[in-house]
Amino acid sequence: MDALTIAMPKGRIFEEAYELLVKAGYDLPKELDDSRKLIVEAPNENIRFILSKPMDVPAYVEHGVADIGIAGKDVMLEHDRDVYELLDLGISRCYIATAGMPDTPMNEVTPRVATKYPKVASQYYRGKGEQVEIIELNGSIELAPMIGLADRIVDIVSTGKTLKENGLVEYEKIVDITSRLIANPVSYRLKQKRITELVEKLRKQASL
Amino acid sequence: MTIQMFEKPLGMRDDFPFIAKKKAELRASGTSIIQKAGYDLLQTPTLEYYETIGKISAIADNALFKLLDSQGETLVLRPDVTSPIARIAASKLLKEKMPVRLGYYSNVFRAQKREGGRPAEFDQMGVELIGDNSLYADAEVIILAWNVLKKLDIKSSRFVIGHTQLLQLILQDFGLDQEQIEKVHSAFVSKNSVGFESLAKQLPIEPSRWESFIGLMATSTVEEWQQWIDPHNAKQNSLFEDVKKLKKILDRSGLSDAVTYDLSFNSHMTYYTGLVFEVYGAGSGFPLGNGGRYDGLMKQFGLQVGATGFGLRVDRLLEIISAVPEEEDHTLILFDEQNEDLAFDRALELREQGARVTLQFAPAVMAVDSFSGLFSNVLRLEGAN
Repeated sequence: MDALTIAMPKGRIFEEAYELLVKAGYDLPKELDDSRKLIVEAPNENIRFILSKPMDVPAYVEHGVADIGIAGKDVMLEHDRDVYELLDLGISRCYIATAGMPDTPMNEVTPRVATKYPKVASQYYRGKGEQVEIIELNGSIELAPMIGLADRIVDIVSTGKTLKENGLVEYEKIVDITSRLIANPVSYRLKQKRITELVEKLRKQASL
Repeated sequence: MTIQMFEKPLGMRDDFPFIAKKKAELRASGTSIIQKAGYDLLQTPTLEYYETIGKISAIADNALFKLLDSQGETLVLRPDVTSPIARIAASKLLKEKMPVRLGYYSNVFRAQKREGGRPAEFDQMGVELIGDNSLYADAEVIILAWNVLKKLDIKSSRFVIGHTQLLQLILQDFGLDQEQIEKVHSAFVSKNSVGFESLAKQLPIEPSRWESFIGLMATSTVEEWQQWIDPHNAKQNSLFEDVKKLKKILDRSGLSDAVTYDLSFNSHMTYYTGLVFEVYGAGSGFPLGNGGRYDGLMKQFGLQVGATGFGLRVDRLLEIISAVPEEEDHTLILFDEQNEDLAFDRALELREQGARVTLQFAPAVMAVDSFSGLFSNVLRLEGAN
């Protein structure tokens, strides 16, 4: 049985995906005692998990240090990496949307948009024929319209709670996001049997 | 922008002596296999016109290094080798000698936008077999690529083979028009199963054939391809027969466990017209090379002939080739003024016997011990002997 290295995002997605693998019949360790561990071994299945930042999963997979990985579609849209997208796992469902202060039109001279997803945002506005200035931020995006840095933000919305608490409203939905199973193109070919088997087992479990 | 003294342009690399040496060995063993298979090596220019090679090469426009010549014409640094060779083959000189077998080892240039570390200049090694339409030509280049990898001792190399034209005919059978087929192609190229399935929902596929359509993406043997071949379609059948014959030849040549036949396998290079393949090996997360039939490219040079070939990425091969830490015989002769003539004679003598000898004036060496440590033998000719 080929050894399989799986890159996983730390946190909620990891837990959901781990549960999915267990439901799919994989014999994984029950207790993940130390949550700060970066590498988790599942010797019974000859699987090794690498825990990384969600944004970094496609990089590990593209370079082949992880054979497969679980990544949000948002990350894949933002970072164009050469990986195979094999399955929509249907977990961590959310969407990317534009938001801003209620009833405020975009500034006509220099409309500004703050976002963690500069590529997605710029593509969206260019596609609509609107010229905007993109401001890349790394967190607390909601601040930007509140203090007048930007007219709009482009960000992930899952429940809408954060927006509401900060007095923001959603304007347009850009794209639906779920977690995807991705594979390194070479690993996919060299370990095809094992990877397709995993895809089929997960496909049955994926809550679509 | 201020440029630091040690900086190099984005994507440019120095080859240190040990890499240069490894590369030279790789080049020698690779090209010897290619030449033994009857291919003549050639070299094409570093600069080409953007209007011709630049556009024909199928390398994305923003990956081309462009510059202007003194007449104001746009030039490109050679982005690939296949198109210049196609140009040469289409020129009068070689037309009468078809089929021609040409091999190359050459650097190519592709500008990198992402992550500074990716090489923007790298070596490619490959062959082009021009003027032969038969499946034997396809088989020949695949087997040759396999032999080169074997010679280089690449572990578990694997070929994935697809067929552009056959796939096109099969997609037409599903009632798709050209625009729809192109969308399907691009999902196949990036092996985006999720995108393919959601695309399929928007296509006019008959519900009874849905399973069959989705299944296109999941083949790995020639036998599995059979289910999509329309028995009444002569063209499909003859292409499929070719693939079956090719498999037979490859099996006989020892590749039976090394090939995946994936009907959806495809290339983003639009000039491929028939059989296409990609090569992988353990140790690299990136494909080692690719190839296929590119009759369409020859057509752009006004020649209606068949052509097929492969190219291997030398930079990726280098990364995974097992380094043989051979102890090399290297003699150091340290001499001083008194023994100068003796040292020169001795060096000459040893070199004639085939040894590798470094001759060094001793007082010029700052740290004699650590310098001597770089050599397998040290001969000190100093003072009165």
